[in-house]
Amino acid sequence: MKSAARVLAIVGGAFLIGTGQAVFFGPISLKEPTTTTGTEGVKGDPNRVPKQMESPSDADSEPVPPEVIAPEIVEPEVRIDGTDDPMNLESAVKEAIADPIPDDVLPTAAFAGIDDLLDAPVPEGTLTLRESKSLWDQGAYFIDARHQEEFDAGHIQYAALLLAQWFDTDPDRAFAVTDSIPTDATIVIYCVGGECDASKNTAAWLEPLGYTDLRIMGAGYEHWVEAGFETETTPTDGGAP
Amino acid sequence: MSNQKSGAMAWVESILLQFPIRVALGGVFIFAAYNKIGGVQSFANAIKGFKILDAETHGHLIISAAYTMPWVEMIAGVLLVLGLWTRASAAVISLMLVAFIAALIHVIMDETISADCSCFGDMQFVCEPGVSWCQVVRNGVLLIPAMYLVWRQGGKLALDQVCGSKTDPDDPTWTVDRSGGQA
Repeated sequence: MKSAARVLAIVGGAFLIGTGQAVFFGPISLKEPTTTTGTEGVKGDPNRVPKQMESPSDADSEPVPPEVIAPEIVEPEVRIDGTDDPMNLESAVKEAIADPIPDDVLPTAAFAGIDDLLDAPVPEGTLTLRESKSLWDQGAYFIDARHQEEFDAGHIQYAALLLAQWFDTDPDRAFAVTDSIPTDATIVIYCVGGECDASKNTAAWLEPLGYTDLRIMGAGYEHWVEAGFETETTPTDGGAP
Repeated sequence: MSNQKSGAMAWVESILLQFPIRVALGGVFIFAAYNKIGGVQSFANAIKGFKILDAETHGHLIISAAYTMPWVEMIAGVLLVLGLWTRASAAVISLMLVAFIAALIHVIMDETISADCSCFGDMQFVCEPGVSWCQVVRNGVLLIPAMYLVWRQGGKLALDQVCGSKTDPDDPTWTVDRSGGQA
């Protein structure tokens, strides 16, 4: 009985202290950030050349070695089945046709088509993969809201790492990122996609800082990779793109 | 003679088990609480991400939990290290661990939810930040010493021994010599 009263005392004391913390240090909010959708009105990174405009000038580019322009075609000495006998290859193909792969082991995603992936349904108010890629091509700022380890393992090219919790626990690091992005810039925030809240949480921190064009990529990073879009894996210090 | 023997055993248990378990378990919870108290907004976001409560209709409960839970962990952790109210603080920690395990399993079972544990705020302890079975196992492992302390209490080196808990009738380690002396 005495222990039960003490349990209640511990919880009650914690509630009082927590309430005091809320009163003295200001309340928190769970308000959803205001985000926009679509691919119009992009104000991107002026230092980043949009992909469709990339065309190295003759003056800047190094001369291309002739063997790269017209590589020498070398006849393979070893057949795909590991032998020198072309008849074995033919028989291997015949065997493969005669013994088809069961349906359950076929990589169905590979046959679904890139359009299905680009236009796959995303949560309301977020960007499809196609829209996200369009914004990336137009030079929009991309922010990765996943964890440091995930970012280091691979992220969308030019994306900057910015976790929502940094504003709480490591504000210097967070503001080092935001200082490099103008407040009127188009920012696309992504995480693992689906019901991942990390993008919204980061957007909720950015909105009060004055950022007006926040867009959330509904598709996740894995979809971006699956589509074969630009990524980079070089570990960074989490700084600006 | 048997009282002397049981008294010696109680000291051995206190030194080898109860004291290190109290300090380690309490330390883990102080560490967890410290990381959350400095990042209440992130912790509230994490609770919201578990999708146990609807943020639209029960946002006030999420915010209350975000402010209260770290302090429950802090108070229980400090009390456990000190050995004061050991049974109650161990019971609080046990209840929290059971609740955490249930919440983690809820997230793991619902494949549409992608949430961060935030069990130790921005820091990581044993497991990766994303919710996985690793956290369930970790909390299950932490539950064992917590339940042990609920059963055996703080031992001879606990402040409970000098702050009035000697008369706690629930204390299984406390035996009274009928001839008048403490065992």
